[in-house]
Amino acid sequence: MQLVNRGEGRLFLSPLVIFLLLFLGFPAIVNLVYSISTVTFETLRAPELSGYGNYLDVLSDRYFWQASWFSLRFGIITALAECLIGLFLAIFLNPLLGKRPYLMAPLMLPLMVAPAMVGLMYRLVLHEFAGPVPYYLWMWFGDSPAFLDADNAFRTLVVIETLQWTPFAFLLFHTAYSAIPSDVREAAALDGAGGWTLLTKIELPLIKPTLIIAFFIRFIDGFRVFDNIYALTGAGAGGSTTSLSIYIYQAFFKQGAIGKAVAASVVLFIASLVVLYALTALGSRRKEKT
Amino acid sequence: MIKKTTIMALAGLLAGTAMPGIANATVTVLGWPGGSEEAALRAATDVYNETAREDDKVELIFFSRDGFFDKLQADLAAGSDAFDINLIAAYSIGRYAPYMEPIDLGDDAETVFGKAVLETMQYEGRQYGVPTDLSLHFMYYRTDLLDALLGDADARAEYSKIAEEYLGKPMEPKPADEWTWDDWAATALYFTKSINRASPVRYGTVLQMKNLLFNMMVFQSLPRSYGADWRDAEGNITIDSEGYRKGLELYKTLYDAGATPKDSLSYEYAETNAAFAAGQVATALQWNAAAGELTDPEKTPAVAEVTGVVAPPAGPNGRADHIHGLGLGLNKNAKNKEGALRFLQWLATEDAALLYAENGGSPALMPDVVAKIADDRPDLVDLGNFASQYGYVMDGGTSANALSIYEVQAREFTGYWSGQQSLDEALANTEAEMRDLLNP
Repeated sequence: MQLVNRGEGRLFLSPLVIFLLLFLGFPAIVNLVYSISTVTFETLRAPELSGYGNYLDVLSDRYFWQASWFSLRFGIITALAECLIGLFLAIFLNPLLGKRPYLMAPLMLPLMVAPAMVGLMYRLVLHEFAGPVPYYLWMWFGDSPAFLDADNAFRTLVVIETLQWTPFAFLLFHTAYSAIPSDVREAAALDGAGGWTLLTKIELPLIKPTLIIAFFIRFIDGFRVFDNIYALTGAGAGGSTTSLSIYIYQAFFKQGAIGKAVAASVVLFIASLVVLYALTALGSRRKEKT
Repeated sequence: MIKKTTIMALAGLLAGTAMPGIANATVTVLGWPGGSEEAALRAATDVYNETAREDDKVELIFFSRDGFFDKLQADLAAGSDAFDINLIAAYSIGRYAPYMEPIDLGDDAETVFGKAVLETMQYEGRQYGVPTDLSLHFMYYRTDLLDALLGDADARAEYSKIAEEYLGKPMEPKPADEWTWDDWAATALYFTKSINRASPVRYGTVLQMKNLLFNMMVFQSLPRSYGADWRDAEGNITIDSEGYRKGLELYKTLYDAGATPKDSLSYEYAETNAAFAAGQVATALQWNAAAGELTDPEKTPAVAEVTGVVAPPAGPNGRADHIHGLGLGLNKNAKNKEGALRFLQWLATEDAALLYAENGGSPALMPDVVAKIADDRPDLVDLGNFASQYGYVMDGGTSANALSIYEVQAREFTGYWSGQQSLDEALANTEAEMRDLLNP
């Protein structure tokens, strides 16, 4: 049954369309114009069209590729670590949390801290003379690694990010894992499935959509990381911990290269679209096969 | 109904008690947050507001320190009138001048600050701000450690041996005010525990090597004392010079030898203070603003009594000390320009400057003015002396792109110090970008 005719449908949709055009379409068009213009803070309202030079600047800038590589590595490694630890905790703590659900609250605490605050906090915590971690390492072992030198900075940042965001992955997995009907487990047990078989053949396939979504969300967040890294290391020695977000921020504010910064964000947007289409195509192909 | 009445009563109470300043203020000042400058400005403003007319009362607002200049730039460029007066710095005047109004501070300002200091707030011959704080660098050092070194023949012999091994020449220890950069480096190496097991401290120095523009300001005085500049009279970029090579190599030598904490590549102002205050570092080249903290026995009980202050060491061209002024200027889009100007002119009077200094600020004052507070603020006497004798600004250091140039140097030089690129690559990359930024 058709509830409304096409005209009425358009009428109802029009506020949303206008909203999207105003708040998403207009900035997108302005950004596209900026990306092919020579523009500074003084000429924001009157950019001069200058062609594709900004895109060439971005694509020929080694720091753009360095930042891309950093973001990609950081996004994949942190998402993997967070999902693996989150999954382990969800399975391991499931019986305990079933009986004592109030224990969930302290596990979620890291999510309550703003990322910039996390950066500032770890600046203090890891400082050789003011921080508790190096203090105890010196006291017990007579030495402490330099957590933020050029060799260790990446690893330290990965650990900090993982510590903060694993609870998010854990929360999703715990919810999905708890939602598996108990009769499924009972049936599997009656059929003779052991613990490992139950986990790998029954439970994990059932929560697979949640696993994929959690990995995807955490990868995106890791890929566009900014606050905590900027507060902790700046952009890193020689730009070694510069994420793409930091690269764009620096180009925009620090260098005043507004056209170049916007061009970089457009390149990033297009790259994201390609990845999304590739994943969608991959998903569709698998669906067809099954 | 009762609920609505209660909420309105609470709102009224809040408006009437918590924000009286905002309700009355008609001049809004955006200050430099989080340090001695904020404390001094708050104290001076309180005194001003006691006698100011109702429509001249001043209200202060502060962003966070991180990214302050970026947020300020965005606000000014957008034509914001949320503040009448804003912070201005010598190295950022060129960038912000298009959005600001030149001001007249009156004839007395020169007798308080002197011509040279007033010029730190000028751009293209016009005054853009009141110079509230002057910033330069002190060499902080442990007097107890140095005295022990100078008075011990065995220690002097060890010092000479270490200098020969790391710096290629035997050297004799000297008092801190006679140091060249090599003397300082040799001292730093000698007091490094991993090099000299007898050292009572862990590190000989603490370098600020984080990829941060302000750290480049601290570093520049080393190459400058070897005659370095950003460009020559013809406008050629001269970053690839003996001075910069010497400075960059010396920092790398100290970092690689472990004379500064291994985390120094993530150190800035706060980390440097913490390291020195912990009593595990022999020397630190640090901003003058740290003097109040590092020499205060209550704030830094471990080392305050044995902390000495001298000018940065000398090079072949003598000593050099980076200077820049922080100040307050008038927003072009200010809502209350007359009231704002009255406050700025008051800040430029002797009484206000002394009040500001007594509350922790660091104004550069004329000798007869600073003499009035010399007992309470001996560091201000050093500040004036060092600024007048050794102060310098690089050619291009107040240009519109000065901040961006420091950013480029920070990225490239830290890349060299951390071993990601060679010295030649770092200098070539810096030169190429400086050419675009200084001579567009």
